[in-house]
Order: sequence, then C-alpha cells, then structure tokens
Amino acid sequence: MTEATGKAADPSPDPGVWLDQHGDYLFKYAVVRLRDDTAAEDAVQETFLAALKAYENFQGRGSERTWLVGILKHKIIDHFRRVKREAPIGEDVDEGSDHPEFFERTDQWTGHWHTEHAPSDWHATPEQLVERADFWLVFGDCLSPLPQRTASAFTFREVDGLTSEEICELLSISVNNLWVMLHRARLHLRNCLEINWFKRDR
Amino acid sequence: MNMGLYDKASHHVRYWLLRRLPTCQQTVAKLSESMEHRLTLSDRIRVQVHLWICAWCQWYFEHLHVMRTAARAKGDESSDLAPRSTLSDEARERIRRKLAGGT
Repeated sequence: MTEATGKAADPSPDPGVWLDQHGDYLFKYAVVRLRDDTAAEDAVQETFLAALKAYENFQGRGSERTWLVGILKHKIIDHFRRVKREAPIGEDVDEGSDHPEFFERTDQWTGHWHTEHAPSDWHATPEQLVERADFWLVFGDCLSPLPQRTASAFTFREVDGLTSEEICELLSISVNNLWVMLHRARLHLRNCLEINWFKRDR
Repeated sequence: MNMGLYDKASHHVRYWLLRRLPTCQQTVAKLSESMEHRLTLSDRIRVQVHLWICAWCQWYFEHLHVMRTAARAKGDESSDLAPRSTLSDEARERIRRKLAGGT
C-alpha cells in the first residue's frame, strides 16, 4: 500500500534491466536504418549512456521505450554526420540495379513489362498487411540485399516519412540521386514481395 | 456484335497508343518520382494516359502506395523490419560493462 508503484518515482534506473528490456528492440531499430551491425551496436550503447546521464529529464514523461527511441534517433543522425565528415562521398552514387530483366527486350515491346515480372493484383490492403507479422519478416528479408545506403534511404522515406531534403542532407546525396535510389529500391522490393509473399498461398 | 467491334477497336487503339507512349520501364520511374514531388504537366499527362491503357503499371502504382502506407503505419514498431537481428552476446556484455562503469 505504501509502496510507490510508479516507475517514474525510481530515481536511479537499473541499466542492466534497461539493456534486457530494450536492448534488442533498440538494436533492431538502429539496424533497420543504419544497415550495419557494428554501427547499430555503437548507437545503442551511446543511447543507453546518454539516457543514464539524462535520466532526471525523463522522470515519468511517457514510456521509457519511446524516450529511449527518441535518443536513439539522434544517435543515428550523429552516425551519418560522422560518416560524412570522415569519408565524404562523391556526388555520383551508382549502386543497385534498374532491373532491366523485368522488361521486354524484343523490338516491338522493348521497355514494356516482361510477363514473368509484370505486377498483379495483391488482393490486400495496407491495414491487413500491418497486422501480419510474417509479412514484415518477408519485407525485412527483401530489404536486406539492397545496397546499404539505398536501404537506409528507403527506410527513412517510406517508414519514417522524412522529406527528400532531410534524407539528402543526412546521406549527403543530391535529390536526383535519391530518386534513383528510391526507384531502384521500390522496383526490387515490390517484385520481391510479390514473389515471396503475394504469390504464395496464404 | 457491336460490342465485339468496339472491343476490337479499343484493343487496337490501346496498343497503338502503348507503342507511342513512354514505355512501362520509363513510366514506373516517373511513378516513383511522383511519390516524391509533383511531376511536370507533360509528364503527368503521359503517365495518366499510360495508366489508362496499362493495367500492369496501374498495379505497380497501387503497390507503391500500399508499401508506403503499410510501412508508415508500422511507425515505431519498425523494429519488426529487422526481425532476425538481436544484439550479439559480445555486444550485450560490452554495453553492460560500459553502463556499470559509466558515470
């Protein structure tokens, strides 16, 4: 009865418990965006260290996890800033494929869909897909063969909803480059989902 | 019989157009671009006419929207997109030590 029940009342969090409760979650969150295990581990570590120092600022404001994710987002941005500083990349990014094999190469129909790769009806709404854990398993697997930066750009755009300008700044690429990368990511992902999810019996 | 004639004519018109419009390969690039900003008027017209006659590109466009809407709805649960990733034991131990010794 007399015991304080609110987590927020605890002045000193147990970092070990944090690590067990949120470590994997934060790591996954970071890996999806950084596409690099080592960089993701570092970001998680920096997040916990920063959280420990700033714990009094948190004190009961919303969920602990949301707060930690908020810190992690900054650490992810820091990572890209550091990369930019240490190894500036040239303007021309030519990574990934335009998937010419998806399209016909015969005279009359050159550039039109190859029947084997032509899109078909998915018979699914986004609302249905969000609920299907196994769909996201396939989605994640389909993203992983993409070049690192292409996959990061795609995630920032389509999952986080960042603007083109924000992503170009983060990855230090031109907007035309970003569009090419997003287009390639979409071509690949759409095809991969169709083959590995929608054309399977479910 | 009239329908048959109409179908035939519409079939020929569609294919005649399809060969004169930007190809599917060019159109899907524009469709992707249209997810990023408003296309120029001439691009919008070409894309619209292409979509009018090409069911495949219609599906393609719909799928781009399905992927975006579903992915954005995932929001902060987006950790699910790396379903097989977990902190390695080695990294976990290193972080544990850092946290115990830090501050």
